[in-house]
Amino acid sequence: MAGNEEVPPPALSAQQPSGSVKTLSCTHCGAAISVKYPGSTMTVVCNSCHSVIDVTDENYRILYQFSKSTQVCKPRIQLGTRGKLKGEQWEVTGYIVRQDRASCVTWDEYLLFNPYHGYRWLTENNGHWNFVKTIKENPAIDCAWSSRRHAELDGKKYKLFYDGTAIMLFVLGEFYWRIEAEQKVEMEDYICPPEMLSSERDDKEVVWSLSEYIASNEVAEAFKLRTDELPQQQGIAANQLSPWSARWEKISRLWIVFFALLTAIEIGFCVTAANKSVFKEGYPYIPNSKSTQTLTTSVFNLEKSSANLSVKFDVPDVSNSWFYSSGELVNNKTGEVYPFERTVEYYFGVDGGESWSEGSTVNQILFSSVPGGDYYLNLDFESGSFKDLASRTFFVMVRRDVPDYANYFWCLFFVSIIPVFTWIRSRSYEVQRWSDSDYSPYASSGD
Amino acid sequence: MLTLACPSCGAAEAFRSKASVFAVCSFCKSTLVRQDMDLSAVGKMSELQDDMTPLQIGCQGTYAGKRFELIGRLKVGYSDGFWNEWYALFADGSPGWLAEAQGFYAMCFEVATREIPSSNALTPGTNVRLTAQSVFQVEDIRQVKCLYSEGELPLFATQGRESTSVDLTGPDNGMATIEYAGSDVRVFSGSYQEFDDFNFNNLRKLDGW
Repeated sequence: MAGNEEVPPPALSAQQPSGSVKTLSCTHCGAAISVKYPGSTMTVVCNSCHSVIDVTDENYRILYQFSKSTQVCKPRIQLGTRGKLKGEQWEVTGYIVRQDRASCVTWDEYLLFNPYHGYRWLTENNGHWNFVKTIKENPAIDCAWSSRRHAELDGKKYKLFYDGTAIMLFVLGEFYWRIEAEQKVEMEDYICPPEMLSSERDDKEVVWSLSEYIASNEVAEAFKLRTDELPQQQGIAANQLSPWSARWEKISRLWIVFFALLTAIEIGFCVTAANKSVFKEGYPYIPNSKSTQTLTTSVFNLEKSSANLSVKFDVPDVSNSWFYSSGELVNNKTGEVYPFERTVEYYFGVDGGESWSEGSTVNQILFSSVPGGDYYLNLDFESGSFKDLASRTFFVMVRRDVPDYANYFWCLFFVSIIPVFTWIRSRSYEVQRWSDSDYSPYASSGD
Repeated sequence: MLTLACPSCGAAEAFRSKASVFAVCSFCKSTLVRQDMDLSAVGKMSELQDDMTPLQIGCQGTYAGKRFELIGRLKVGYSDGFWNEWYALFADGSPGWLAEAQGFYAMCFEVATREIPSSNALTPGTNVRLTAQSVFQVEDIRQVKCLYSEGELPLFATQGRESTSVDLTGPDNGMATIEYAGSDVRVFSGSYQEFDDFNFNNLRKLDGW
């Protein structure tokens, strides 16, 4: 079966299909050109003068002559070498340097050949590599929103990343089609990392291909090169898989589970909370003064062996003034003391035409776990900024087993730290990826 | 199976398919035309440059769960390339065509269609309803010439035979071909399949691969 034989060393492979290698003299410079796969090759490039020659023409017509001033590009992977990629042996038979006309960005393309599986491309752009296969099926293009154009193939959506005109700067090797002079194609790239769908359109046809991002060390390993012989990687490639997106996907799912779980627990607490009023009493106070002796409330009973407890101060008359109380919850039997202090203050006014307010006429304290038994409160209090000194009333309310949201929100906060961090990293990766594109979904509308 | 003697060299020519009307003698390369039990030599097939195809006559494969064997080959060329059309005989005696080009393999079968559009009416991108089930899109239209043939074939595949070939693609790796050869118009439809999925055996030996 295909490709399961031993890799012949390059020296051997160069002379291996000796029966079929065809030799001709360059029509332009006379140098000897050997065509390794004459039966499948239409175009060959002279190694010496870089004339592009039609092998199928009996006079070996020159199709294209690169001007002498054109710089000579050197392929990083030698033509004629073989490497195993995606489980198959591939021989590098051609090398093309292309350029985007508008941005002048260049990239390299290596044509790979395997007699059983045909042709593939290995492309290199900024040190990033793609393994490319021509496909026969035409993806469906959705142009509903021109700015969010995408292609669809086998149920996968690919977002438009690039379109432009590409020209050929340099070619070397042999090719299965006739390379036309000044060949330029309209290109479109649609991404769904680690894959990319590309179309190349000329006046005759549209060819679609599917690229898969591959790590440069995979390329180096396949063609037995040192990683430093390959170009240094720069930036993020169009279809490079984000290390954060998979993490974000996993974590966000986990986060939703936690969120649902915490919410369910909280709802459970709230529903089962007895929220029972155990004490309520109003007491007089003289504004703008300090209580002279400690007020002791009547004894009230707390049910349940242990539950939370809220002490709430309601001072309806604070109005641009304050009321402060320091006190303690005392167990009538054991004498155990739970001290607390609270200020109730409420301010409001109009500033530059805008009305404002701050604080409120109530304030409370929550003890998270208080054992059952008989209790009373000791209270000292003080107030200020009242306009007159007429005696007023403040109310103290004690509730047992009340619903509490603080723990819930704290838990949510801590559970959200990692997901939020991951999301930010994931998003900034995508922003960087799309910064090379004219179709970035992250670009501000002003761009 | 019908066996006739090559009128040129006397070698036995086996016709495995009843539909075969043409053969190339594997010994003397005479091109032979069959009329019932009569075999007449009409010319010679000249050898062609090796095209690295891994297929050969006698090669067997599987398509849609059915085994087939390649019994004939037609190599056609156009201005920018060439491809092979392998005449396949399935175990049940039904024929098919295995198109092979640049590592793409598609098996297709002749289909009866109510009306076939004229080749002039087609341009790349045109949608054509060839069968009741599916619409195909025209990929390219090529003037092709028979470059080479071997084995047995259901058409007179002499070198230089000219035709117009329209390639179409459909959903789910579907493909179709319309062949206009003079007044003779035939439509084939089938699908692409990966090389490995054919489970080929008796492949041609390719040195170094």
